[in-house]
Amino acid sequence: MGEPLVVNVGPQHPSTHGVFRMKLTLDGERIVDCEMIMGYLHRSMEKLAEERSWTQNIPFTDRTDYLSAMTGNLAYCLAVEKLAGIEVPPRAHWIRTIMAELQRIASHCMAIGTFVNDCGAWHTPLMYMLREREKVLDLFELACGARLTTNYMRIGGVARDLPPEFLPRLQALVQELPHRISEYEELLVENEIIVARARGIGILPADKAIAYSVSGPMLRGSGVAWDIRKADPYAAYDQVEFDIPVGTHGDCYDRFLVRLAEMRQSVRILEQALDMIPPGPVQTPVPLALRPPPGEAYGRIESPRGELGFYVVSDGGPSPFRFHIRPPSLINLTPLPEMVRGLTVADAIITLGSVDIVLGEVDR
Amino acid sequence: MGAVAAFWALSAIAVGSALAVALVRDLVRAVVALVGSFLGVAGLFVLLSADFLAVAQVLIYAGAISVLMVFVIALTPRGARDNSETAMRWPALALAVAMTALMTTVALVAHWGPQVKEGLTETAAAIGEALLSRYVLPFEVASVLLLAAMLGAIVLVREE
Amino acid sequence: MRDLGNAVGAFLEWLADVGAPSWLLYVVSSLVGMLALLGWALGSQLFFIWAERRLIARMQVRLGPNRAGPFGLLQPIADALKVLAKEMVTPRGADRLLFWLAPIAVVVPAITVMAVFPFGERMVLADLDVGVLYLAAISSTAIFFIFVAGWSSSNKYSLLGAMRSVAMLISYEVVQVLALLSAPIFVGSMRLGDIVAWQGQYKAWLVFLQPLALLGFIIASAVEVNRTPTDIAEAESEIVAGYHTEYGGIRWGMFQLAEYIAGFAVAAVVATLWLGGWTLWGLEEWVPGWIIFLAKVYGAFFLFIWLRGTLPRLRIDQLMAFAWKFLLPLMLLNTLLAGLEVLVWRETGAPAAAILPAFALGNLALAGVLVVGWAVLLGQLRPERRPARPLLVQEVGAIYYRPLEEAREA
Repeated sequence: MGEPLVVNVGPQHPSTHGVFRMKLTLDGERIVDCEMIMGYLHRSMEKLAEERSWTQNIPFTDRTDYLSAMTGNLAYCLAVEKLAGIEVPPRAHWIRTIMAELQRIASHCMAIGTFVNDCGAWHTPLMYMLREREKVLDLFELACGARLTTNYMRIGGVARDLPPEFLPRLQALVQELPHRISEYEELLVENEIIVARARGIGILPADKAIAYSVSGPMLRGSGVAWDIRKADPYAAYDQVEFDIPVGTHGDCYDRFLVRLAEMRQSVRILEQALDMIPPGPVQTPVPLALRPPPGEAYGRIESPRGELGFYVVSDGGPSPFRFHIRPPSLINLTPLPEMVRGLTVADAIITLGSVDIVLGEVDR
Repeated sequence: MGAVAAFWALSAIAVGSALAVALVRDLVRAVVALVGSFLGVAGLFVLLSADFLAVAQVLIYAGAISVLMVFVIALTPRGARDNSETAMRWPALALAVAMTALMTTVALVAHWGPQVKEGLTETAAAIGEALLSRYVLPFEVASVLLLAAMLGAIVLVREE
Repeated sequence: MRDLGNAVGAFLEWLADVGAPSWLLYVVSSLVGMLALLGWALGSQLFFIWAERRLIARMQVRLGPNRAGPFGLLQPIADALKVLAKEMVTPRGADRLLFWLAPIAVVVPAITVMAVFPFGERMVLADLDVGVLYLAAISSTAIFFIFVAGWSSSNKYSLLGAMRSVAMLISYEVVQVLALLSAPIFVGSMRLGDIVAWQGQYKAWLVFLQPLALLGFIIASAVEVNRTPTDIAEAESEIVAGYHTEYGGIRWGMFQLAEYIAGFAVAAVVATLWLGGWTLWGLEEWVPGWIIFLAKVYGAFFLFIWLRGTLPRLRIDQLMAFAWKFLLPLMLLNTLLAGLEVLVWRETGAPAAAILPAFALGNLALAGVLVVGWAVLLGQLRPERRPARPLLVQEVGAIYYRPLEEAREA
């Protein structure tokens, strides 16, 4: 009972949110060290992308962060549009905003549901949140034919216009969502056991968060007010009003609260978008074999997990010379050993849940 | 007739398990045998119509002392965890023989026979009243002893 | 059919008339009782495997098993067949005798404890004078064999899981026994038949007179039978595996059987001691007592299913702190109060109809005050333990971080 015990969590484990492995060194009940081993889902996307044309790489971006495909598409298209100097019509900006916020709601439903699942509630909150996610995925299916790997954004706009029944259904959803979110707040935020499990666990102070380049709800949970939608606006975000939820203590509970509040802000943005979306074309015509001028560009967005960036380099050819993804999940994972030091194994699993990783992004 | 058969069966269980405690090699198996012995003794109490004692025997010994033994085993270093031959076996045998002789003498000399006119029907009430009237001093002393043990345990595991 | 106790009694009388010796009568009556209990326990378990999954599914906005048989009613049979067909692997370094013994030794106390419950007016297998203490004693013997199960698996994670389970179980056993004591204090006898008769006589269920004890008992028993919110031994998100990891096939099935039957036993204790057993304020003249009793047992078990579907899990050190610091003092206070009330009742000789409602209201109010007050005293309602909301800001760039210790002093 005295010597340190090495416990292996994963890669096959119900709670690691994918094929992720943590080697925890325990002294008694407390963790003294954590070694993270990733790469189980590496699919060499960055290399494969160098052999495909710029437009053919858009499906790759669905599959990096497979739980928020729309935002992946969006980031890549922004990067290429910056590189090639392509203008996007206003209606496309608004459609992109709507899709990104819908994706944020769906992704946070999943993230919060699995987080509370890790706390031990036998799937009940997860099942409730999957209800809302299903409605969002139905809307995606209406717009582009796919639920998960949407492949909807194109360089210069979006693939096709919204069908006529999309906006009324979105209106109905937007009216229903605030009640549901209040339901979740009542069920989950006020729950003593979740507060007891998640308060004070996995604390990441603000200076460390900035030093580790953490982004997204994890950064905002640590008290730093930073959101790329406000700091470096893209799509139609400079024309809508919304707030940024910010936590104060940097623990798992604050991250959970931030995600729940972001869902409400997304609904606010959607309401404004429904009013302000203009008619018009949805894509600037772009040649199929696009050859952007030589140069480099970095396009970034606020994905549900943090700052998703695409660094693309062109040498004038039909394929990218370099296609690099800045995955928020991977960067957010780097402070994990520091966050779990001194915690028990159960708390470490909750902390991992609150980081909200998607292995497709981490390993690419 | 049934009582006699039950007596021999329960005694066999109690004594056999007790022998197993001493003779079995593995320490955890010895503790399991010990629990068996406790249950045998509880059965003997039932045979004597001492229902409260029987249930208390199960609750305290089979329920709590066994768990105490378990923690003792878990905290013993691995090397000391077997029940095999030790250097003390000849003194232990001598002591066992002496104790057997003493108890046999006592059993043969004592007057065995009913001490009261009628058996008690409600033993729990009788024991309770006795504990709080005639034997209140031993009761309180035992309580203080238990309290001291609990406080000692807490003091010992405090991290300074 | 109305009173099964009478039916069995009539059968035994017929046997005696036919000329059977007395020992045969004794054996036959015991056998009938034991077989009835076993049949009821196993039958209820089969039904409740189905019922629990459907109920939890309804709470989770989904359907539950509906493929095997109409409404999925044959699902327990399918589960049982699957469990029986699985391979039972014994780990190489395992202690074969103890490995074989542990599942059996965990089921036996769960079933044996049912012997003292009065299912109806004369439907008790063994109405012991020390019935309440018997309940505590038999359920405590299972704890040791849970450790044996973890030990004999020769898996260090199983052993760690077993030690944590045992520590949790002995902590809550103290709370459970103290909660159990409140009923005998009021009634003046530890016989379960007497307790039910007292509740029938005074038309007062002990749930109204001892709400705090019932609360403590339900929480402690949920821990004792390893149900959520305290199923740490079986949790998949705890890497240290539970004590029954290495058990396959029917051996694991036995552990599940023990958990369910212990759950029924606990529900039966709640129904007997606090909900009035087989009495229902006089309705037992027309409705058979055992139907009333079973309805209460299943109602109490439904409460456990409901808790499982709703609450997340506590961490083990939080659980133990909750037992020793919160529940134990409350149960001690409750025992003291119960004793005081009985003393007052006996000394003043007031009529039951006057004094019992006074006790009930007083105890209810006191329970609320004690629970909230003790929570505040222990600091469980501190500001940072309360639910919160995030700040909503408009501009980027500012830092709002405050370490948790500073918030504590605030």
